[in-house]
Amino acid sequence: MSQQRSSYAVGAGLFIVLGFAALAYLATQTSSVANARQGDSYVVDTQFTNIGQLKERAPVKIAGVRVGQVQSITLTPGHDVADVKLSIDRHYDHIPQDSVATVFTSGLLGDQYVGIQYGSAKDVLADGGTLARTKSSQPLEEMLGKFFGAGGVVDNVGGSYTVKAGFTNVGTLSAGAPVKMAGVVIGSVQSVVADPVKLNAEVVLSIDKRFDAIPDDSAAAVFTSGLIGSQYVAIQPGGSPDVLKDGDEMILTQSAMQLEDLIGKFLVSGSDKKDAGDGK
Amino acid sequence: MSTRTPQPNGAVARSLAQVGACGLFLLTLLAAIPRSFRHGRETIRQVWFVGAMSLTIIMVCGLFVGMVLMLQLYHVLSIFGGTSASGMVVALSVYRELGPVVTALLFAGRAGTSITAEIGLMRATDQIDAMEMMAVDPVAYVATPRFLAGLIAMPLLCCVFSAMAVFGGHLVGVTWLGIDNGTFWSNMTAVVDVHTDIVNGILLKSLAFGAVVSLIAVFQGFTTPPTSEGVAYATTRTVVASSIAILALDFVLTAFLM
Repeated sequence: MSQQRSSYAVGAGLFIVLGFAALAYLATQTSSVANARQGDSYVVDTQFTNIGQLKERAPVKIAGVRVGQVQSITLTPGHDVADVKLSIDRHYDHIPQDSVATVFTSGLLGDQYVGIQYGSAKDVLADGGTLARTKSSQPLEEMLGKFFGAGGVVDNVGGSYTVKAGFTNVGTLSAGAPVKMAGVVIGSVQSVVADPVKLNAEVVLSIDKRFDAIPDDSAAAVFTSGLIGSQYVAIQPGGSPDVLKDGDEMILTQSAMQLEDLIGKFLVSGSDKKDAGDGK
Repeated sequence: MSTRTPQPNGAVARSLAQVGACGLFLLTLLAAIPRSFRHGRETIRQVWFVGAMSLTIIMVCGLFVGMVLMLQLYHVLSIFGGTSASGMVVALSVYRELGPVVTALLFAGRAGTSITAEIGLMRATDQIDAMEMMAVDPVAYVATPRFLAGLIAMPLLCCVFSAMAVFGGHLVGVTWLGIDNGTFWSNMTAVVDVHTDIVNGILLKSLAFGAVVSLIAVFQGFTTPPTSEGVAYATTRTVVASSIAILALDFVLTAFLM
């Protein structure tokens, strides 16, 4: 009996030890505590006009390598810049004073971090020093912002007229997609067919009659709404005194793909977090 | 206990009466905790029985949950070129939801049923009445140790489950699908927070689930009709009621803890 009793007591003890070991493992190895382990560090002040989604304890990186973390983010009342204190490992104490601190985004959807690009000054940053040269967040967002803003399909209240445009590549543009000028929907794509002779895609755009003063040297471009949104035709007005009429053909066109190429760049560089600022 | 009290008519009234009796039983259990310290060995034996004996199923299931989660996420995230985030998503979803919930469901099936069946059989064979005759408090000797054991074992089982799930995710993601090892861990450590994910997610949720599952199991055992059919019914009810209670409580807890 006592033999059996001690065996279950040992089993229960082992189980409890194993449970706590698993808890300790989860808490220290898979959580942010693992990043908090840091040697001696020194603090550097920076100021950003826009920190985007930067958070405390976000990494500070040089050449993509983590060298410290964001210690605090404060906004002084009356100022329109954020004071960001960076805590940098003492090991990396040869940062030139004219280095540039930039808020970067890891990949397309990743978290933001502060990247430091070395300057060329002889003096190095000391504890409590200031990185005066900063670049704020948002290169990617601003760029994407251009492509956002796709609205619904236009209501053809006042009737419409059609113009043709030839594209070498329409991407995934399909009939019914919106036609926009300055981001506002002014019509829709009536048909997309391949031209058997010119070997390009002939797109017929149906534009609301209200917009009858579009110069005839305007350019039509295939853009994408947002990142994974549908494609639409954007009309960029030209400067000609003559206007587009029903049945006219637009000469200047810009095919799809530039967003895809762009994203390609970001995805490739984002996966190793090295050159996320390339798109600037 | 309540088996000899007259039962109300109607399904709704009966279920309400069950919930009410269960709540009263919880008070009896809690009141018996100081008295049950005398039976500390029994509590340890129950920790061994509901905790240590459940380790195999918990570890194997945790491993497979982590593996399948990683496999699914990899295929979805590869559409967006975001496979490097999959380790992080595995960790977050396991810590916040899957770990506590799946562990509790397995715990209800593995430990809850055996608690109900054991106590139910004790009642059917008049062992509980015999204890009362011998001036041994059956609540302090039989019910409370099992309840406390569930309370102790569930969070620990959930930790083991979560650790195995992360290991499984690592196995599939890094070893098999070729996600970078450093990216896997750094993305995870960048996002997982000790307070919101591990304390609130794993520990608090599983503690609540452990309390609910063992309360239901012990209560069903104590109120079993003293027949073999009654034991079968009580065991089934333990699993059904526990599963519903776990999932409903999970929603409420998530809403509060978020």
